[in-house]
Amino acid sequence: MTESAHKEIKMIEKAAREFSKKVLAPEREENDAFPFGPFFNTALEKAYGLDFFHLNLPENLGGMGQSIRALCRVMDQICREDSSLGGIIFTNTLSQSILLETGSESRLQSLAEKATGVFDFIVAFPSLTNPHDLTDLPKAQVKNDVFTLSGHLDYLVLGGMAKQAIIPACIDGNKEYSLFLVNLDSPDVVRSEPIMSHGLHACPAVDVTFSFAEGFLLGEAGKGDGYFTKASETMQLAASAMLLGVMKGSWDEAMSYCGSRVQGGRKLKDWSTMQMKLADMVIQVHVADMLVERACQAVENQEKDWQNLVKAAAFHIQSAATQLVTEGIQALGGVGYMKDFGQEKRFRDAGQIQTMLGHTHIKKLRFIKQFLN
Amino acid sequence: MISRSELNVLMDREPKFDDIMISFRAIAKQPKGINKELKQVIAIARKFNEEVIRPGSLALDRKMHETPDHLAWDYVREANKRGFYTMFIPKMFGGEGYSLTAVAYFLEELSSSCGAVANIVGVHYLGIVMMFSSWNLKICNRICADVIKGQKNGEPCLLSLAMTEPDAGTDSQNVEFMDTGSLACHAQKVKGGYKVTGNKIFISMGHMSTWHIVHAYTDLKRGSDNTVMLAVKKGTQGFSFGKKEKKMGQKACPASELIFKDCVIPDENVCFSKEDMAKLKRRVKDTNAQVFAYIWAASRTSVGAFGVGTARAAFEEALDYATKTMIDGQRLVDHEWCQSLLGDMYKNVLLSRLAYTEAGYANGLHGIWMVMNVKPMYLMNRYLPKALISWFMKPFLNLGLTTTVFRKICFDMQSDDAVNRVDGWGSFAKVVGTDAGIQNARLAMEIMGHAGVRQDRRVEKILRDSKLFQIYEGTNEINRLNLFKRLVAKALPQTEVFSETNP
Ligand SMILES: Cc1cc2nc3c(=O)[nH]c(=O)nc-3n(C[C@H](O)[C@H](O)[C@H](O)COP(=O)(O)OP(=O)(O)OC[C@H]3O[C@@H](n4cnc5c(N)ncnc54)[C@H](O)[C@@H]3O)c2cc1C
Repeated sequence: MTESAHKEIKMIEKAAREFSKKVLAPEREENDAFPFGPFFNTALEKAYGLDFFHLNLPENLGGMGQSIRALCRVMDQICREDSSLGGIIFTNTLSQSILLETGSESRLQSLAEKATGVFDFIVAFPSLTNPHDLTDLPKAQVKNDVFTLSGHLDYLVLGGMAKQAIIPACIDGNKEYSLFLVNLDSPDVVRSEPIMSHGLHACPAVDVTFSFAEGFLLGEAGKGDGYFTKASETMQLAASAMLLGVMKGSWDEAMSYCGSRVQGGRKLKDWSTMQMKLADMVIQVHVADMLVERACQAVENQEKDWQNLVKAAAFHIQSAATQLVTEGIQALGGVGYMKDFGQEKRFRDAGQIQTMLGHTHIKKLRFIKQFLN
Repeated sequence: MISRSELNVLMDREPKFDDIMISFRAIAKQPKGINKELKQVIAIARKFNEEVIRPGSLALDRKMHETPDHLAWDYVREANKRGFYTMFIPKMFGGEGYSLTAVAYFLEELSSSCGAVANIVGVHYLGIVMMFSSWNLKICNRICADVIKGQKNGEPCLLSLAMTEPDAGTDSQNVEFMDTGSLACHAQKVKGGYKVTGNKIFISMGHMSTWHIVHAYTDLKRGSDNTVMLAVKKGTQGFSFGKKEKKMGQKACPASELIFKDCVIPDENVCFSKEDMAKLKRRVKDTNAQVFAYIWAASRTSVGAFGVGTARAAFEEALDYATKTMIDGQRLVDHEWCQSLLGDMYKNVLLSRLAYTEAGYANGLHGIWMVMNVKPMYLMNRYLPKALISWFMKPFLNLGLTTTVFRKICFDMQSDDAVNRVDGWGSFAKVVGTDAGIQNARLAMEIMGHAGVRQDRRVEKILRDSKLFQIYEGTNEINRLNLFKRLVAKALPQTEVFSETNP
């Protein structure tokens, strides 16, 4: 990486850190109340203004043209305080990557140019799944070169707030799915109320029903899986960076609480049982940090086998993160279970982030199969 | 082959036979009727699950998200109507007299449908257990009568257990930590009772309970020697409720702040005082520790059962999902890797149920329900009509002498070995069961992928609910230490637990 690129990333990271501390942290509990409380429009618009939604978009399409490393740093910083925004940026960046993979630059460009605010700009996608693993995807029919989609899709992330979505659907006669850009405001699209979920409350999803809704085919018919796989290869790293941020947030809060709470006549941090717990936590934080860093390097250098490095890092971080956030609550005792502190939210958010881009176990099986074959 | 004296010597070596083979000893002594009772209580719980919890618990959880101040009175009233708050109260106190051994199995069943509703029922018995650990039969009799009346007139009368304070969580629950801790709930001896000032926090079902069994301290600097157990009724002057906590899970079961300000508790509501403890064989501090051991051994066994319930619920949801979901052209349940995971989850359920079963036997042999498990008591309680037992026993229960005799039996005649055993096994059941709950809930979420994160698929709620079980009734960290202390360190004369010197 060049010196100037390095500096640029540092600046972006700093902006994300300040934003996270000043804008996200103070409102965390309130923002997490969605859908039973107001949505954090203002924070979202601010993040949009800071170009967190344009990071990986090429410069010629109105973006910042940054690398995956920049996205990871931003994710890390944001998810220390509130992963919901991380989830929104993640899903939107995934959609952008898919659009790029499908050669839909012109659509991206017009999105970037026409958008007057974040809600015009974002593109929904079922980012918690690998569409290949879904049965009963919507069906697509073609008549006079126009595709229409019918059927149901579960858990479309950002589907309630975005104006457009990338929808996986099967064209009659095709075994593999294709991807379509669909206008969600169309009367042929019915969206459910926001789904109440485990974590990432302010990164909501909806179930969607299509009744002959018009869709624009992205890329080639029947090639959806290839596009998704390509986009997810790097985006898996962004999901890992989200978990890394959650882990760091959990570790920070555990440290600060154990440094002040006294039980048994001394600070919690002075009990060796607690020291062991804190040690296990910080070891995992450092390992995850190194893995994300190393995987970024592999992607940037397009090392042979970089995809497997990214996946291996992701598997490791996923299991480490869920363990760590459990301990993060435990270190605080009863208050860790309460909404006044951030630990319980991190516990839930980590559970949700680990499902991003599909079932862990199925991903793992696919991972090993390439070695076995 | 081996002489009797040799056998005794060998069985008395660590690990001692009596410490590790609890069920072998207990089953021989256990009245036969308990098996039938177990089946009955499980069936009663399953009926409640089918008719009340399963149809409503997700909507209740959602409602609590939406309006966190809501109190789930409809569930409490329904449980009350079905007699759940009196069923495990011995007949001599006017209850239905189901064996206390069965409580844990009952709670596992409820928890397998909803951890929070299980708590709505179970927490009442934590309060009951704390009250009974004083062996103040006069008070037990009076308060149980209120509970029975509450069932009859449809106005639920519940008990809560109140130890935790803002600056003393772990410290309020272990005599070893009390004197270095920051206890703040002060009980000043005044004419005719105690004047209490201070706050308790995180008290489960606080806002919904009528009686609160409270620990306060006559000397805040030396709580271990100066604990007084009080029964405080809702509405007592100087006692009020503070905030309800906003929790991650267990939403239907409020965690409340109790505020005492110059609240005078009359002598008749003093369950156990320092002066009472001083009349017993052990030092006051050790008797106090014995009281905690009685409470924790029973309550942690039940919390272990809560954990097993959630572990089972997670397993059942994952299994259901796996049988209905196709992956790569095959049902998920037909994939070998998935069968292996499901097998592991089922192993967690079985293993942790065995743990609380064993701890239950320990309670029956040495703990709070040992008296009721003695065969003549058991048979009387089970088979004689309630009215007859009540008529016969009531005058005795109200005699101060009966309390004295029971305390002599239950404190002075309880050996140190018995205290260690029952308390150690309680911690064991709690840690094993509640860790299983979390492990299975996590595995279920992983198996279910994006379906698992939806509240309407239940499993994410199971994970949220389960987490509490690792925290309350002493964190699992503290329980691991207690397990070591009670079952291992007792044989290591130079090893102190809970008293690490500053490294
Ligand atoms: C929802 C909920 C319901 C509850 N219901 C009740 C109730 O009905 N009645 C009641 O009285 N209480 C209740 N509690 C309180 C509960 O029992 C305490 O939260 C628990 O015992 C831990 O105490 P704490 O929260 O103060 O944590 P702390 O004691 O501050 O502990 C924080 C961390 O430090 C560790 N730690 C503390 N001391 C030591 C030590 N000496 N050595 C090593 N590690 C140590 C703990 O293991 C924990 O990891 C409830 C709590 C919750 C969250």
